[in-house]
Amino acid sequence: MTLALAIETSCDDTAAAVVDDALHVHSSVIESSIDQHRAFGGVVPEIAGRAHLATIGPVVRRALEDAGLDPHAPAIDVVAVTSGPGLIGSLLIGLSAAKAYALAWDKPFVGVNHLEGHLFAPLLERPDLDWPLVTLLVSGGHSMLVLQRGPGDHEVLGETIDDAAGEAYDKVARWLGLPYPGGPEIDRLAAQGSSKALKLPVSMTGAGFDFSFSGLKTAVVRATEKQRDVSLADVAASFQAAVAEQLLRKLRAVLEQREVRGVALAGGVAANSALRRGVEQLALEYAVPSYLPSLAMCTDNAAMIAAAGLHRFLKDGASDRSLSARPNWPLTELV
Amino acid sequence: MNILAIETATTACAVGLATTSGFEMGWVVDEDRHHTEALTMAIDRVLREFSLRPRDLDRVVVDRGPGLFTGLRVGLATAIGLTDALGIDLVGVSSLELLAHGAQSEGVRGTLVGAVDGRRGEVFVQTFHLDEVVTALSPPRVATPSEVALEWATPSAPVTFAGDGVLRYRQTFAALGHATLLDQALPSTSAALRLARSRPPQSFVEPLYLREADAVANFSTRERS
Ligand SMILES: [Zn+2]
Repeated sequence: MTLALAIETSCDDTAAAVVDDALHVHSSVIESSIDQHRAFGGVVPEIAGRAHLATIGPVVRRALEDAGLDPHAPAIDVVAVTSGPGLIGSLLIGLSAAKAYALAWDKPFVGVNHLEGHLFAPLLERPDLDWPLVTLLVSGGHSMLVLQRGPGDHEVLGETIDDAAGEAYDKVARWLGLPYPGGPEIDRLAAQGSSKALKLPVSMTGAGFDFSFSGLKTAVVRATEKQRDVSLADVAASFQAAVAEQLLRKLRAVLEQREVRGVALAGGVAANSALRRGVEQLALEYAVPSYLPSLAMCTDNAAMIAAAGLHRFLKDGASDRSLSARPNWPLTELV
Repeated sequence: MNILAIETATTACAVGLATTSGFEMGWVVDEDRHHTEALTMAIDRVLREFSLRPRDLDRVVVDRGPGLFTGLRVGLATAIGLTDALGIDLVGVSSLELLAHGAQSEGVRGTLVGAVDGRRGEVFVQTFHLDEVVTALSPPRVATPSEVALEWATPSAPVTFAGDGVLRYRQTFAALGHATLLDQALPSTSAALRLARSRPPQSFVEPLYLREADAVANFSTRERS
């Protein structure tokens, strides 16, 4: 058995987990600094950096203890850490700490792509998943459609050409005067509104699998200026439907054009109820199994980093101690 | 006692090691903000140089600033990782006191003003009196170089300036009469190793930021919308 300790600090969550190569999660600890960012309507890099530094030690210690390991001499085989993409100041804290733990215990360490981590998340709950799998990865920072032929074997079919879906949620939520983060708030409101109340255009990004969300906030503003009588709930429902519509339309195109044996959702926006319903329906329609991860697996966590890290470590070996953080590391540039 | 010193408060990255057998060394690993890439490799090399393993360390001393935020956090995260992993003591010292103690051991006496470059046209500054001991005369604070210069425009006695903030704003400080500018820009790792012996270990070492994150926050929210 190969056992990994993983550390994840790419955004506002400080996380650590212990996972083995059969993808059993021995422990998973997450400490979020989200409460400190709320007032600013978005994650503030400097605040995130300060919070990571204050929590990294205790979070790692708890992950080791929860897994029943000696925190000063754990029987792990590798330290995995997110080295990109993400906020540079946040990434550097996890990366520096991971290198130090690895040095202290004389263990190898491996840098992990955060997006590849998200792609491994479904496997942690459903190791029996069938390939090839099409995964809709949607979060505050990313929106992409990925074809997975097997663990770590993936092709990016399409991605957002401007804002991420989660970003669009935050922008509209801010404009509506809703607290940050906008996703759960809009989702909650939308449940009481009509998705047909506002006429919103669906962004056209051509025949490919790319998305575009940057025009959606402006469209919502314009539409509400025309129809002043709509309720907040109706705006939320209409906006949410427009986002899901675009994502699902592209997902449907993949199901039409590619041979896949499953559909998975990943990333923070995968918690969204409209999107979950839509993916389930699409999967039924195309008679393939759908995989909708639990909330804990959608959002950032270190267990998924451990899973991706174990795969990379067993396949490509350890990373060099001089590894730098890559804040813009694309999924297409994995070696 | 085997003590490791970590210095990342300025653009330079340095490590120091003092061993039970009485050896001591300091190494400026990099001068151009490659803290993350260089630091752990340097620690590994320094330990090997003395045939020590990480678990032979008894204590780590780290510069907690003030200084460049990202660099400080790389140093602190490394120090926290090492000490937590090994279950050994962590001691935090300030960049400004390291400048003062470094100067004192070089024989500087009298008033010393330590100034660390804080970017945004400001320096982190603190005043000390040096004789056989080092005494802080003021708390560390943020100021513009010209504010500091104005304060020392008519000193009653000679004053010495040290730190990369002094080098960066050399012209401002060199214009002062009775002022000596030291070339010593880097907080001294050898002073850190010395101070580490006499200071009690801390359960958590917080960086000395001296600036609220709010200023950054306001800027960044404006930028986003
Ligand atoms: Zn993520």
